[in-house]
Amino acid sequence: MDLTNQIILIGSLVLFVSVLASVVTSRLGAPLLLVFLVIGMLLGEDGPGGIAFGDIQLAHLLGSLALAIILFDGGLATPYKDFRVGLKPALGLATLGVAVTAAVTGLFAVWWLELRWLEGLLLGAIVGSTDAAAVFSLLRSRGLELKQRVGATLEIESGSNDPMAVFLTIALIELLLVDQANPGLILLMEFFRQMGLGMLIGIGGGFALVWLINRLEMSPGLHPLAIMAGGLSLFGITAALDGSGFLAIYLVGLVIGNRPLHSRLEIKRFHDGIARLAQIGMFLMLGLLVTPSALLPVAPDALLFAGVLILIARPLAVGLCLLPFRFPWREQLFLAWVGLRGAVPIILALFPLLAGLDQAPMIFNIVFFVVLVSLLIQGWTVTSFARLLDLEIPPTTHRVQRVELDIPGQQELELVGYRLAENAPVIQDRRAEPRLPKGARLVAVLRDKHLLETSAPLDPRANDYVYLLADPRDLAELDRLFVARPDERLSERAFFGEFVLNGDARLADLCAFYGLDTSGVEPDLTLDARIRRDLNAHPVVGDRLRLGAMELVVREVEDDRIRKVGLKLTKTRRS
Amino acid sequence: MLGPELINEARVECRAEIVSKKRLIETLAGLLAGEHPRLQTETVFERLLERERLGSTGLGHGIALPHARVKEVTEVLGAFVQTAKGVDYDAADGEPVDLAFALLVPEAANEEHLHLLAHLASLFSDPRVRAKLREAESAVEILKALNTP
Repeated sequence: MDLTNQIILIGSLVLFVSVLASVVTSRLGAPLLLVFLVIGMLLGEDGPGGIAFGDIQLAHLLGSLALAIILFDGGLATPYKDFRVGLKPALGLATLGVAVTAAVTGLFAVWWLELRWLEGLLLGAIVGSTDAAAVFSLLRSRGLELKQRVGATLEIESGSNDPMAVFLTIALIELLLVDQANPGLILLMEFFRQMGLGMLIGIGGGFALVWLINRLEMSPGLHPLAIMAGGLSLFGITAALDGSGFLAIYLVGLVIGNRPLHSRLEIKRFHDGIARLAQIGMFLMLGLLVTPSALLPVAPDALLFAGVLILIARPLAVGLCLLPFRFPWREQLFLAWVGLRGAVPIILALFPLLAGLDQAPMIFNIVFFVVLVSLLIQGWTVTSFARLLDLEIPPTTHRVQRVELDIPGQQELELVGYRLAENAPVIQDRRAEPRLPKGARLVAVLRDKHLLETSAPLDPRANDYVYLLADPRDLAELDRLFVARPDERLSERAFFGEFVLNGDARLADLCAFYGLDTSGVEPDLTLDARIRRDLNAHPVVGDRLRLGAMELVVREVEDDRIRKVGLKLTKTRRS
Repeated sequence: MLGPELINEARVECRAEIVSKKRLIETLAGLLAGEHPRLQTETVFERLLERERLGSTGLGHGIALPHARVKEVTEVLGAFVQTAKGVDYDAADGEPVDLAFALLVPEAANEEHLHLLAHLASLFSDPRVRAKLREAESAVEILKALNTP
C-alpha cells in the first residue's frame, strides 16, 4: 500500500512539474518535448532521480498506446479542407519520402557503422518518420500561422508517415529474424496488406463509429470516452489482423473529426487533453528508459548520422517527392528543414530490442541521440526559419472567447466575445453606427460588470465586453471590427498590400492601368488564372507574384479559385 | 507634405450629402475636373470607375482612395470628400466609406504615382489621422488633418 501511494505521489509530482515546466520553456522557445525528455532523463538512473526503469515490454505497450492516441487526435484535428492542398504531396512524402530517407540513411549506416544490409536499412527505417505534432505545438504556442500549403502538407505527412515507418521496421525485423528467399516481394505484399487493412478498417470503422455515436443517447460526458474506446478498439482489431493499426486509428480520427457529430466540441477538447497527456507521458517514459551514460560512446557516430539525415536524406526525399508539385523553393526548403524527429523513432527502436537483435542496444542509443539532436536543432530554429522564409501569414482570429453552439442539424453558429481595448477599430473609427456582418447578431454588452439594458444599437466604449452570435465564416470580419492589431509587421496592409483586387479582373487591364508593359499579356487572362499558372499548385493565401515594381498577394481562395488579390504598390521586404 | 498644387480648399468638400458610391466618385471627379482647362468630369469619372472594376479602392476603416492615370494632366491632382454618412463602397472589410481621397496622375509618372499612393494609404492607416478627418468641419481643417506629420 505504501508503494502504491509513493508511486502516485511521484508520478503526479513529475507530471505536475512537467506541465509547469512547459509554461517556462514556451517563453524560451525551447521545444516542449525536449524538456519532457530531459526531465525523464534527470529522473532516470544516471540523474538525480535514480529511478531504474528498463522494462522494454511495458515501455513498448505504453508507447504504442500513447502514439495511437496522439495519431487519433491528429486525425480529429485535421480539417478536411487541408486535404485539398496537402494530401497529394503529403502522401508522396509519407510513402516514397520515408523509403528514400530510410534508404539513404540506411546505406550510410551500412557503410560507416559497418552494419549488415538489413540492419542498416532497419536503422534508416526507424528514423524515417517525422513528428509534426512537435512542430505545430511550437508554432501555435508562439501565435504563428503558416501558409496553408506548408502547414497542411506537414501535418498530413506526419500523421500518415508513422504507419509507413512502423511497417518498414516490423517487416525488416521479420526479414532479419527469418531468412527469406525473396525479401522484395515479401516487403511489397506486406505493404499492401498492412496499408490496405488499415485503410479499410480505418475509414469503414470511422463511419460506423460516427453512425453509432449519433444514435446513442448517453450523457455528454461519455461521448468522448466512447469515441476513444471505439478508436482504440479499431486500432486493436486492425493490428490483430496484421494490418497497420496506426494508419487505421489516424483515419478513424480523420473521419470522425470531419463528420457531423454529437458533442463534437467536448470530444475534441477531451482528446486534445488526452493527447497532451500521452505526449508528456511518452516522452517522460522514454527519457527514463534511456541510460544517458550509454549515449556518450555512440555520440560521434550518431551525430554524423543525424547530420546525414537532416542535411542529405530529408532534403533529398523532399525534393524528390515534391518534384511533380513544383512547390515554391522557400516552401520546399522549409519542408526539408522541418523533418523533426520525435517519439516515434524511439518507440520503433524498442522493436529490435524486443525481438532480441544483436545490434538492438546500439540502434536504440543512436536513434535516441538522433532524436535529441533533431529536437534541439530543428525544433529550436523552426519558428525563426519560418519567419526568415516569409511563410507566415497574418493570423485570422484573435477573439477572446468562442463557444461553438451545438445545435443538432442546424446552421453552424458560434457565440463570440470580445473585450474592447481603447484602440479597437470599432471605437477608434466610430461613426454613426458600426455595421455588423449580415450573419451576426449582437447578444449582449457588459459595461462595468452590468449587462446593458438595450444592446442595440451598438454604442461601444473601451473596456466593454461584447458578445455576438455569428456564423463562423464571419469571424474574420468581426475580428477586424473589434480587435486592435498592434503588430504592424503582420498587419493586413503590410502583408497583403494597400488595395484589394478581384481575382477575375483581367491582368491586361491592370497593367494598362498602372502603365506596366502589356506586351505578351493575353487579353483575357484573369489575375486568378495568371497566378495559378505560375504556381502549378493549389493556390493558398499568401502566394505571391511580382509585377514590375508591384506585387500581387493571394488574399482569399474559394474552391481553388482566387477570389481576392492584394495589391502591394511598392515591393518592400517585410522586416 | 501635400502641397497646394496637389490639393487645396477648392478641391475639398466637407459633410457632403452623398448616398452612393457612384455619386461619391462623381463628386470627386467634379472636384478634380473643376477649373482644369483640359479635364472633363465625365472622362475623369469613367477613368476612376475603370479602376473600381479591377477591385474596390476602399482601403478599409471607411477610407477610399480612387485613382487613375490620365494624359490630360501634367501634375498630380488630388481631391477629398468627407461625407455626412457612410456610403456602401464594396470595401474589403465591408465598412461603409465616409472619407475619400481621389488622385489623378499624368501618364508618364509611374514610380512617383505608386509612391504617392502608398504614402496616402499609410497616412490613412493611422487612426489618429482618420479621427481628425472625421472631426473636421471645414475644408481648412481637413487640409490641416491631411498634412499632420
